[in-house]
Amino acid sequence: MRFPSEKSTKESLVALAMLLPSLIFLTAFTYWPILRSLYFSFHDVMLGSNKIYFLGWENYERVLTDALFWKSFRNTAFYTLITIPAAIICALLLAVALDTKIRGVALYRSAFFYPVMIPSVAAGMVWVFLYAPGYGPINGMMDILGLPKLEWLYSSEWALPAIMIMSIWKYSGYFMLILLAALQLVPRDLYEAAKLDGVSTWHQLIHITIPLISPTIYFVVIIGILHSYQIFDYVFVMTQGGPADSTNVLTLYIYQNAFQYQDIGFASTVANMLLLFIGILIALIAATLGRRVHYLGS
Amino acid sequence: MTSTKLPISRRHFLQVGAGAITAAGMLGTTPLFASGTDVVKLQFMYPVGVSGDINRIVTGMINDFNASHEKVQVEPIYAGSYDNTEQKVMTSLGVGEPPATWLPINSALQTFLGMDALADVTAMAKADDIYQDFLPGFLSICESEEKLYGLPFQCSTPVLYYNKDLFAKAGINKAPDTWAELMETAKALTIRNGADVSQWGVTFGGGWHDWIFESFVRQNAFVPWQKDKVMFDAPEAIDALEFWVKMVKEGVMPSASTWQGSANDFMAGRTAMLYHSTGSLTNLRKSSPFEVGVAFMPKNKTYGATIGGGPILMAKNQPDTHLQASWTFARWMTNTQNQTHWCKETGYIAARKSSWEGEDLKAFVNEVPAAKVALEQAAYAGAFLQVPGYHKVREYLKSALDRTLAGEIDPTSALKDATKQANREIERLMRRRG
Repeated sequence: MRFPSEKSTKESLVALAMLLPSLIFLTAFTYWPILRSLYFSFHDVMLGSNKIYFLGWENYERVLTDALFWKSFRNTAFYTLITIPAAIICALLLAVALDTKIRGVALYRSAFFYPVMIPSVAAGMVWVFLYAPGYGPINGMMDILGLPKLEWLYSSEWALPAIMIMSIWKYSGYFMLILLAALQLVPRDLYEAAKLDGVSTWHQLIHITIPLISPTIYFVVIIGILHSYQIFDYVFVMTQGGPADSTNVLTLYIYQNAFQYQDIGFASTVANMLLLFIGILIALIAATLGRRVHYLGS
Repeated sequence: MTSTKLPISRRHFLQVGAGAITAAGMLGTTPLFASGTDVVKLQFMYPVGVSGDINRIVTGMINDFNASHEKVQVEPIYAGSYDNTEQKVMTSLGVGEPPATWLPINSALQTFLGMDALADVTAMAKADDIYQDFLPGFLSICESEEKLYGLPFQCSTPVLYYNKDLFAKAGINKAPDTWAELMETAKALTIRNGADVSQWGVTFGGGWHDWIFESFVRQNAFVPWQKDKVMFDAPEAIDALEFWVKMVKEGVMPSASTWQGSANDFMAGRTAMLYHSTGSLTNLRKSSPFEVGVAFMPKNKTYGATIGGGPILMAKNQPDTHLQASWTFARWMTNTQNQTHWCKETGYIAARKSSWEGEDLKAFVNEVPAAKVALEQAAYAGAFLQVPGYHKVREYLKSALDRTLAGEIDPTSALKDATKQANREIERLMRRRG
């Protein structure tokens, strides 16, 4: 009786010892801040002051009636809704194209992965130059193609799409790499069989490739949503949320409230709303898309 | 020298040793409480708030200061925009290590006072020529309840810049003087090809359009704020915003722009008129390939302008020697000669009467009459939105203006909403102050 229980105690101690490092970090830098921000959201907390006043639901009332919160919310949702599907489609096409034995495939793969390796602040600055209305190469190209020149980052209509285009460029390579790894695990004989039956390349993609790599696509969708809700660096570097808040997103709005307006209580409230929203979104995706994932061998 | 025994007992040795350790400990803190003979090191955080090579000019001035002052050395810290600078100062205040001096926008005065961050320099100023020589309007932006908290350094107002070539091409020979004329002139100068506008009639520098907006409200003979509340929903303010909406609907003004982008547009001839800071004057004048005209912002009931730009403020939480040194620095940056230099180099309005009476600036005004427009307009100018929580309050106002100009909401509802939200924020901060 004593022997197995001792063994399991020992095992759980080992498990605890192995979990401890990450548990310490998660507690200190994730769970504890989440609890703190929940606490702060019901209080009036000011950066640089140790006086805290209880407010009840006041911060939440303010958030729900705050036009700028809803604008940032809409901007973030719009950004995610367009950027992530577009980047995944680009990535999938790239991955399928580069999963073949064409000449110089390693070079192409590195070339398309290259944007991922550029630090986001540097990439942001480069795109600020590319988008410059007067001398920017993008407007130069639009001029050659006979398209109207745009004001890009200086226009409240085009600033957000401009950041989205750049994000698609940046995300595609990253997603491509993940999808490429998944593609290489798809058994080749399935394609050979399909070819013998005269199935077109397009139908092979729809009926073989996509179902078999669906767990990875699911993973990429989740990662993509998480990434895009955390978008901050590009906006901060390229537009600071402007013009006219057309590129303000939730993370930037949290930052502004916390550090520009010193209103930690309100910033925490927005952060909690963001957390709640991402939670609901992920749950929805898990309940719909997650159920359709096809696991190889199961 | 017969005895080899040291004349120190063990106890004596320990006492001396303890003393030495204490002394060494104190030595570590000496930079904070430097004695008269040491060099006092100060930090100065400043922004670049207009278009042009301001950074080089400020650094040059500080180098001159350091070269001419043996006992005070100032470290210039360029901190980005006004918002970035103020934020950096607030963060340092939060951890109890503020810079000795900094340059915010004057509107942040109440915010810093709320944080108990500012040294009262009234006595030092009274012992000096400050109250006699500074233009009263500019000095008042550093005052609260008759106490002085800084020295005005880079004073500006928005002015109307116009492209004389484009005016001549359209057969117009004078800048608009009233809102009605502004509308007419802007219409005459707008060039569109179908839906595309290749030349706007007028652009208001975005990002600081709330500052420009307050000028419009002042032109309706109203100041939309008091020390503890805002009145953005007053009829005078709603009327001003309705005028803006009319300009956008007529298609003579873009509904949004950026601060730097609008200046670039003006220099590239993409807008014929521009509302921008006087601080941009020298850059616009020198970088534009055409002759730049400068005029008063057109009046409605009266002329009116808002003072932007900033005072040099000094931290309360610093030893006396450092406060003295900070004063020496602020005083030097705003002396007659430096205000003249700064005014010529940038277009910011020199804050001292003696600068304007000096031969140097007189000669400059003869050569560039535009430099004097802002000074004359300053007679109609007042401080900008000096309320607690200014950063958040102006964000509510900007958002209201932006949403209205984008056609998402009508002027009255937008300004009512902004007023409600802003006053709630001010109340919260007043409550905190207790």
